[in-house]
Amino acid sequence: MSARDDILGRLRRAGFTAGVPQVPAGEAGAVGGTVPAPVDRFIERARAAGVEVTRVAEFATLAEQVRETLAAAGARTAVIWESELLRPVEDALRRSDVRITDDPSQADAGITMAEAAVAETGTLVLGAGPGRARGVSLIPPLHIAVLPEDLIVSTLFDLFPRLEGLPSALSFITGPSRTADIEHTPVRGAHGPIAVSVFLVRI
Amino acid sequence: MSGPGAPIDFAANARAALGDPFLQRALRTTLERFRELQAAVIAEVPQWQALRTQAHAIKLHTLGRLDRYLEELEAQVSARGGHVHWARDGAEAARIIARLARGRRVVKSKSMTSEEIRLNEALARAGCEVTETDLGEYLLQLAGEAPSHLIAPIVHRSKESIAELLSAAAGTPLPAEPERLTAAARILLRRRFLAAEVGITGANFAVAETGTVVLVENEGNIRLTTTIPRVHIALMGIEKVVPRLGDLAVFLTLLPRAATGQRMSSYVSLITGPRRPGEADGPEEFHLVLMDNGRTAIHADAVMREALACIRCGACLDVCPVFERAGGHAYESVYPGPIGAVLTPLFRGLVTAGDLPFASSLCGACGEVCPVKIDLPRLLLELRPRVVRARGAARWERMFLRGWSWVMRSPAALVSAGRLVRFTRRLLGPRPRWLPYPFSQWAASRDLPPAAPFAFRERWRR
Repeated sequence: MSARDDILGRLRRAGFTAGVPQVPAGEAGAVGGTVPAPVDRFIERARAAGVEVTRVAEFATLAEQVRETLAAAGARTAVIWESELLRPVEDALRRSDVRITDDPSQADAGITMAEAAVAETGTLVLGAGPGRARGVSLIPPLHIAVLPEDLIVSTLFDLFPRLEGLPSALSFITGPSRTADIEHTPVRGAHGPIAVSVFLVRI
Repeated sequence: MSGPGAPIDFAANARAALGDPFLQRALRTTLERFRELQAAVIAEVPQWQALRTQAHAIKLHTLGRLDRYLEELEAQVSARGGHVHWARDGAEAARIIARLARGRRVVKSKSMTSEEIRLNEALARAGCEVTETDLGEYLLQLAGEAPSHLIAPIVHRSKESIAELLSAAAGTPLPAEPERLTAAARILLRRRFLAAEVGITGANFAVAETGTVVLVENEGNIRLTTTIPRVHIALMGIEKVVPRLGDLAVFLTLLPRAATGQRMSSYVSLITGPRRPGEADGPEEFHLVLMDNGRTAIHADAVMREALACIRCGACLDVCPVFERAGGHAYESVYPGPIGAVLTPLFRGLVTAGDLPFASSLCGACGEVCPVKIDLPRLLLELRPRVVRARGAARWERMFLRGWSWVMRSPAALVSAGRLVRFTRRLLGPRPRWLPYPFSQWAASRDLPPAAPFAFRERWRR
């Protein structure tokens, strides 16, 4: 007998000995609730998680603000996702002295576009895809994410119903990478980015 | 697990731990810190208790139909181009993974399931160069040691001793500063990541309806493991499946808060199949290994089944007064603390691990904090008579109980025994330091209570 049939057979024989409790319907939906001012809550919680958050008043100034952030961090090489909203940023960087690369391991900064965010936890949601490599938000020491304000939901309970189909990798990112493995001392920057910067835009 | 092996002598292990002042201090401060952080973020969630109940219900529901949800998971993973493998035990799982990884450079993220089956040894035999990439696990690999906490695997080591380990690995002296040490490990491990051909992870959850493996972490090593190598192999116990994507809202609200006291871990990865056409990174091959290794036996045990609901957060360890003093290594198991004291006897046998269900004061704290509401004190209590039946009671214990039952059945004997006990007790003084064997064993860590001045019958008569 194959391992598969063996395991499934054993589970079937035991299946109902302990019964199959029904999950109380609706209860989970009620949990979480809505956050009164999700944008403010997101900013507060993302900052608490160690993210630098900037509200961009005029979309036209986004490219300039990103360039300034790169300059302040001493980032000379950047890798950037393909996205209509990021196009002006990429064009502006190409005109500046920042070098644009395809290889995240050669970049000082990775620039991405969030597809959602969770206010309650200060979490960015990023989906991988063509032109949206996973390594961009992960391998360079600085991660810059652009987030349209209207994509912020209150809690995880509001997030999952909105996801339409899953990409090969969907990442929830809350702050920079961190560890506290050595004597429980919190350290920022383990294997992933040491700093995360979010630009909130209104479109 | 690693076969039954010699019986675990918990009392001896605990005594050794109590004699280690660094360990005692490290456990106390680390667990206290965990508890503070957890309490703060749990207090923010007014529906915490409802969520625990919901999580428990989802897990028990899933366990009741585990065969169907596993079939659904298999079908969904396959539909997205992933490969599903089934393993009856640890040896079979290790064989499957070793065959896939043979002779290649492997990076691994922290996985208790892989520790359970001693995967690294099997991979080394298959000619693989294996690197643990979670910082704590990497340090343990350098030291040749086992983890001692589900979340803080290297809590038993000082930063000075870690500096020694890393200095040797880096070939340059490093200061005993957590930040510098972490930065050094990042550089050492980044090279391994960039050269890796196979990435091995565990799985915190797997969603049946979408064929998605969910991985929760803070360091980013799991994301690198599932981004750079050409092959990703995820090893999971069959109990980790949840039915729907929406169920993750419940579990991801509970897990980080209960585990590290964070609102959310730095990274949660939802991996659905291998990379798709047009993508620049991510693995070309995705394998999911579904492992039994004793789980179907626990599943068939109507009382113990709920132990399979565990999401490995470690919260029960953090509140356990026995764990806080004995430390993780005293349990001689991948799974320490209260949940380990339940799972280890079930995995490795009541004789080998029979000490563990007794390594509890039954204070009930573990049951109160468990985010999936496993009734740990009840399971520990249920295991105790099973251990006694399996191991057999000591001869003196049997004789004592036979005598006890005889006395309790005879009114005359009870009256005389009562007089004898009160007399002897007065003779021993208020706090006797020494009692004759076998009572000395009982009295070694307990005070003998005083006897009542009169028997109840005497008082009643008056």
